[in-house]
Parts: sequence; C-alpha cells; structure tokens
Amino acid sequence: MANTIDLSPVARPKTATPWTRTSPAQKLSYAAAVVVPAGLYALYMVLTGADLMSGLFTIFLPLQILVGMLAGILTYGKKGIMDALLYVVTIFFSAFVLVLLLSVIWSLTEAGLKAISPHFFYQNNNYVQVNTSLEYGGVGHAILGTVLIVGVSALITVPLAIATGVFLTETRSKTRGVIRTLLQAMSGLPSVVAGLFVYSMLIVTGVTQYAGWAGAIALIPLMLPTVARVTEEALRLVPVELRNGALALGAPAWRAFLQVTLPAARTGILTAVLLGLARVIGETAPLILTTLPGNGTNLNIFEGPIATLPTYIYYYISVGFDTSIQRAWGAALVIMILVAILFTSARLVARPVGQFRKKGK
Amino acid sequence: MNTNIKNHLTSEDVNVWFGERHVLKNVSLQFPNRQVTALIGPSGCGKSTFIRTLNRMHELIPSAGFAGKVLLDGDDIYGESVDPVTVRAKIGMVFQKPNPFPTMSIKDNVLSGMKLSGTKITNGEELVETSLRRASIWNEVKDRLGEPALSLSGGQQQRLCIARGLAMSPEVLLMDEPCSALDPGSTRRIEETILELKEQMTIVIVTHNMQQAQRVADQTAFFLSEDGNPGHVVEFGTTDQVFNMPVDARTNDYVNGHFG
Amino acid sequence: MTAQAPEKIPPRLKLVVKPTTVPDKIFFGISTAAGYSSIVLVSLILLFLIIRAWPAFASQNIFDFMFAAGWDNAAQPPIFHIGAMLWGSLLVAGLGVLFAIPMAISIAYFIEFMAPKAIAKGATVLVDFLAAIPSIVLGLWGFTVLSPVAAEWAAMLNKSLGFIPIFANGDANFQRSPFIAGIVVSVMIVPIIASITREIFSQMDQELIKGSLALGATKESTFRRVILPTASGGIVGGVLLGLGRALGETVAIFYVLNVIYDDFNWFNILEPRGGSIASLILAKFGEATSDEIPALMAAGVVLFVVTLIISSIASYIVAKAQPWRKN
Repeated sequence: MANTIDLSPVARPKTATPWTRTSPAQKLSYAAAVVVPAGLYALYMVLTGADLMSGLFTIFLPLQILVGMLAGILTYGKKGIMDALLYVVTIFFSAFVLVLLLSVIWSLTEAGLKAISPHFFYQNNNYVQVNTSLEYGGVGHAILGTVLIVGVSALITVPLAIATGVFLTETRSKTRGVIRTLLQAMSGLPSVVAGLFVYSMLIVTGVTQYAGWAGAIALIPLMLPTVARVTEEALRLVPVELRNGALALGAPAWRAFLQVTLPAARTGILTAVLLGLARVIGETAPLILTTLPGNGTNLNIFEGPIATLPTYIYYYISVGFDTSIQRAWGAALVIMILVAILFTSARLVARPVGQFRKKGK
Repeated sequence: MNTNIKNHLTSEDVNVWFGERHVLKNVSLQFPNRQVTALIGPSGCGKSTFIRTLNRMHELIPSAGFAGKVLLDGDDIYGESVDPVTVRAKIGMVFQKPNPFPTMSIKDNVLSGMKLSGTKITNGEELVETSLRRASIWNEVKDRLGEPALSLSGGQQQRLCIARGLAMSPEVLLMDEPCSALDPGSTRRIEETILELKEQMTIVIVTHNMQQAQRVADQTAFFLSEDGNPGHVVEFGTTDQVFNMPVDARTNDYVNGHFG
Repeated sequence: MTAQAPEKIPPRLKLVVKPTTVPDKIFFGISTAAGYSSIVLVSLILLFLIIRAWPAFASQNIFDFMFAAGWDNAAQPPIFHIGAMLWGSLLVAGLGVLFAIPMAISIAYFIEFMAPKAIAKGATVLVDFLAAIPSIVLGLWGFTVLSPVAAEWAAMLNKSLGFIPIFANGDANFQRSPFIAGIVVSVMIVPIIASITREIFSQMDQELIKGSLALGATKESTFRRVILPTASGGIVGGVLLGLGRALGETVAIFYVLNVIYDDFNWFNILEPRGGSIASLILAKFGEATSDEIPALMAAGVVLFVVTLIISSIASYIVAKAQPWRKN
C-alpha cells in the first residue's frame, strides 16, 4: 500500500486544539463560578454596609469555593470538586498577595503624593515643628544622609564582597564551604543585632560618638552576604573554557581574572551591587542604634546628628501628629522610588544582551 | 480497511501541529485487540508524538495542535464531552525513562494510579501482587514492598512502572521506547512481559530497535518525514510483511539499515 | 594464582595548583583575606555582644532571664527577663509563617503550573518587588492601612469563634495584636517562601508529573500526591528561612504590636498584647540605664543565636533539596 497522497504541510486550522473546546453548559458554569460569588458578595456589601475587605475570608472565600465546586461537579463530575478547590484557592491567595502589594503601592502614592512637592526633596527640617504645615520643610537632608551612609557602606562592602566572591569561585580553599555557610547565616542576621554590634564595638568603647559612619559600618554585615552571593553566582556563570583559554595562553591567574573573567561577569556583579544597595537602603533599626536624628543637613559622617530616610520615617511615625505621619508617607514614597530605581536597574542589567537584540527586531 | 478483526483502537486522519509547524499528517492506523503494534521510523518522524495523541497526553504540550479522530471501541476520545482524565485511566502509558514516584514505596507506586485518580482500592494486597506478577517483577520485590521505589535498578523501575499502569486494568497499553534506557538483560525481560500481556490487552510500542519490533509485534507501521514535510505512515501491515516483503522501497531501505 | 612481585607504580605527584609568582600570590592573598573577613565579622559580632552582655548574664539568673517575664530597670535589683518577649517573637513569627504558607505555595503553583508565560513572568517580578519593599515602609502601611482592616477580621473571628480560647478577647480593642503583627510579617516572608518553592517546582522532574497524569490523575491529586511530597523538603527549608527572617524583623512589628513586658500572652492572638525581642531592644534602647544596656545586648545575643540556628537548619535543608545548585 504505497502512499500516493499529498505529503506537503497544511496550515494549522483554528480548530486544532479540541481540548480547549467548551460546551455552552460548561461556559455557563464557568461564568457562573466567577460571577455568582462576586455578585452575592456585592449584594451582601450593599445590604449590610460592610466594606470590601471585611468579609473577604469569612464570606467571599467560602462562597467562591462552594460555587466553584458546584461548577466542578457539573462539568467534570465528582473528580471536578477537588480540582475546583485547587483552582479557587490558588487564584484567591495569589490575587490576595497582589492586592496586598497594590495596597502598599496605592497608599504610598496616594498619601505620599500629598506630602510631596518640589521643596520636599531639597529642603531640610530646620525650623520645622511636628505640626508645621507641609508647605515647609522636606527630606533633602535625609536623602543626603541616606546616600552618604549607604554610599560609604558600599565603598567598604562592595570590594570586600567581590573579593569574597572571587575567593569562593577562583580558589580551591577547603574553607569555602564554611565561608558559604557563614554568609548564609549572616544573611539571616536580624538588623537590630547589627546595630547593637556596632553600638557595643564603637560607641560604648568610646571610639566614636553616634555618627553616620557608625551607621555605615552597621550596614556592612547586612549588605555583604547579598553582594557576595550574587557575585559568586555571576562569576560561576562565566564558562570554564573562557578562563582556561586565557590560562592556556600562559596568562597568570590574576590577569586571566581581571581581563577575561571579570569583564565577562561585569553585568552580573553590577546586579549584585544594585541588589545589595536595595537591600540596605531601607534598613532602619541599625541606624536608630548608631546615629542621632537631625533636622539639619549634615555632610560630616564622623560627627553630629545625621538624618536618613528610614529613621526619618521612624521618628515621624512615633511623633504621631497628622502632619508628621504625612511627612512619613512622603519620605516612604521617596525611599520606594529609590528602591524601585535600584530594583529596575538590577533587572535591566541582569537581562542577557540577546534579549535586547530580540526586542530590537 | 480490514473489517474482519475487531479494531479496538483506531486513529483516523490524525494530524499534529506544534505551533504552526505541521509534524504529522493524516495518520490512520488500526490497533486490533490482543495484538502488539510496533511504530518504527527514524528519529523525528513523529512516532512518539503520535503515540501521545492516543491517550491525550499530547495536549499537555503548550503549542500542541491536533486534528482527526482517535476511536476507542468506536467512541472518539477527543469528543466534546470526553474527559481526558478518564481516557488516560483507560489507556495506560509507559515512558522512555522509568519514572516511579520517588516519595512512594514500591507498593504505593503500584497503587498510585488508584490513589491519584481517586479510585477506591479494594483488595489492595491482591492487586499489588497480581500487577507485579503480570509485570514479571513480583519475585524480585515481594520481600521489599515497603522500600522506596528508587532502590530498584533501572530495569526493575521500568517494570514497576508497567505494573503501576497495569493496576489500573487499562484496555490499551502505550509504550514509548520503554527499553531505550535499559541494558539488554532488562530489555529481554520487558519483551517477555509484553508477550504475556498481549493476551489481555492491546499494546502499541514505539521502538528504534528493528529486532525488538520483529520479536514482539504482530503488525508494524513505518513512519517517515522527508524533505521538511510532516511525518506520515509509509507502510503499515503485518510485521512479517513489513520486514520481509515491504512494498515501499524506503521501507526496505530502513528495515535493512540503509538509512535513518 | 602465583605469587607476584608487587606491581611497580611510580610515586604519585602532588598536583596542587599554587600561585607561584608574586602578583598571583597577592591576587589570591587578597581574595582569601576577603573570604576570611566573614569569619572575622561574625566572630566580632558574637564577641562584642557577649562581652557587653556578660554583666546581664552574670547578674540575672540565666533561667529566669530566658524563660520568665518582667522588665523593670527601677527595681532593686533591676529585673530583666525576656521570656515573654522570646515567646512573643516565636508566636508572631509562627503566625506569620502560618499565614504566608498558603499564599506562597499558591503563588508558586500559579506561576509554575497555571499561568501563561507572560503572566507568570510578570507575577515573578511582582513577588521579587514585594521582597524589595523596606520593612519600615511595610510598618507604616501596616500601622495606617492594614491594621484597621485586619482588626475587622479579628473582630469577626472573635465574634464567630470566640468560644475557642485562642480567639477570645476580653478587650474591645482588636488593634496591635499578635494576629495583626503576624499578617504584616507574613507579607514580608511570602516572597522568601514563594521564590524557593517556585524554584523547587520549576526544577521538578517533568516525567513524574507526566507519569501521574498518564495514570489518570487530576491536577489536584497530582499536586497533592506527587508535586507536594516531592517538593516538601525544599518548601520546609524555605519556610524555615522565612521563620528566621520573621523572628529578626524589627521595625515592621514595632508599630503594629502592643508590647507587654511583664506578662506572657501564651495564645490569645487577638488581644492587643504581645512580645518581640527586637521591639524590646528598639523600645528600651533610647532611655536605657547602664544596667539595662547589657540586658538588651543579652537579648540581642539570644535573638542572634536563635535566628542563626534556624537559618542554618534552613540553608542545610534548602541546599539538600536543590542538588542542581551545587557547582
């Protein structure tokens, strides 16, 4: 039975996925599973005057599960019950996390924008009382303080962390496992303990008064593990062949590293630094234990009170006046903008070059 | 079409696309009850893809497309009201790589199909024993049923996977190169198992091994995909005819090892 | 078999790659020194904390310090007991983990097994972004936005299930309870648990899932009987990492928990009283007496050691569950 039929390919028809077909009854029950609980819940809200969030878990979720299971039975029989439960629960909780995130972003934007005006970014808080209206004063001094302290901390931490990454990838030392474990442990270090550490080492001993640089030191153990770990991963991604190629040419190890491995891993290392900055820029507790709050601009990290964005927020919530809480929201928005910038750059940098090319096409 | 033998499973003009690429065209085969059918052909000819359309595992691939019919006892398994989950429970499958569940014991692996599909287990002990016996592995594992499945050798794991499928008492058993990851000794054991099992069910097996096809199969289908055209069936008939007096020159070349 | 003279094998050479030139020695020297700086740093932290904490350990009965309640710097002699705080930290962190687990596993499952690629990618970015939000910002949000809503949930729980002691509340006030602090903390640790779970899911042997579906399993039974048991090791590790993080959390809890120093709140999670070591340190530090500072240091040591143990166990479990990450 020789084949004489036409063998050439045929375009894929629209109906090529029969398993996605749904009968009208199925469509109806799916739609009902989505619409009915939402509708009933809306009705409940109207009747009792409850707000959207109050009955989310006690009324909406059970209702949604019940209706979902009913739809499951109608379309797939008994087997459909548990599948429906899986779907409803998974989507509900995923959506709930999204709602939480959106709520944070929304309240930051809404409350933060009320506090923010151009002068909020560059003025300091000299002459500002707790109840001074928002037309005066700003977080200029706190932005400078944050940049200074985080910057100084990064100046020390980044070289140390990169060299640690080099140690973990380029040497064959037997202690690498121990170091890796310690870095893991350090990444779980409670930030308040980091503050206590610097307080006990530098301030109690009289090495320094409360000062910006003490805060910068306190951030080191918090930033180091992130940068070192991501750097290690970046260096690990450099193909062995590349390194061996350089070594086979007779290059000494340090040259092979500086001229071949490091350039190949530079975007990964940049990502590491950005993630490390994002990790510590909002740290509050260590700075409360090591610096004094200030209202004025202070560019001297060795002396005097120095404000930072996180401690600014901390003290202004504690004061508890309406205007002070509004200022805290404004500062929180500023810090979130900084975090978002760091986060976005880290993601953009981490994206492999090939993906940019694809987009360009 | 041969109407004398009752065809248990039939494919009618099965076509497959991955994305826009047409990979399988108009495959119509008949799988009679209590017979073994071997699907042979060079790599990339679509035979593994085809066997996955027979129990609706195919649609789990995200870009998959399908047209045609697959009839089990005359009913289209792609019919509108058919639940793929029920289809898969009736048509068992054994994969290339043995894939017993690592978190379950040997015994629980045999019963896993019942548990996973929510079927009530009556006479569990008996079911375990008969399934393992049918897969000819009972004597090797009867004293260690509580041990983890991963403690078995590769060949034993594969027979455990067969036993797992058999416990569901499927009407059809699909085997996608079940011996490709095994040593010759284990391969022989599995072939013996196939010959015993065919007394009770319909078996379809994809294989790269010509001798294996000749040893176990009653009928054989030769798949080919040429010049970028979709794969299709070049020749389909009794194993004896396909191997010893092929009609098509390409079949002759392939079964005699001239290409592929 | 005849006796044979022992085979002659040339002596084995030692193939140690050691830097030979001066620049290479400097290069490896610097990186090794940097590597060891972690040891120095952790040792310094423990050393200074323990030295400063010593007077407290010496003056307070260690058992009382760890397990009794009470904090009074004016008493003679002063009383510094962190038992209630330690228990409070565990209670809040435990609640946080309890709330975070369903959210984290749901997201991981949604991203890996349900969502179309584009949506999955977006969801991954959002979860990572949630992890990047500073805890002070979450504290502010928890204090002003979440607390009133969560207090409503708490009141409903109390109304319908108040006969169970856990949900009892003698107070009409539902704010600043361990329950609310637990929710705030769960927001912080969901990304930690979710990202580890997602990675475990994504690296799972697809053959197992195929094998399960081929046996006629539904999605739910595949999830419950195949995916979850196989991934459980990694998930437990991720949960422990989250627990460690929750125990050490400071400012986010500070504003949403009413810290009561001299009494245990064993299980009344809806009542506005609880404990937290980190909050204790933050709250008492500003006006601490010279006797009190060592006690706060000692509290810090306890907190550090507890989190250290938990995160070490966690890293060990996660590393074991992710063999593909080795090298």
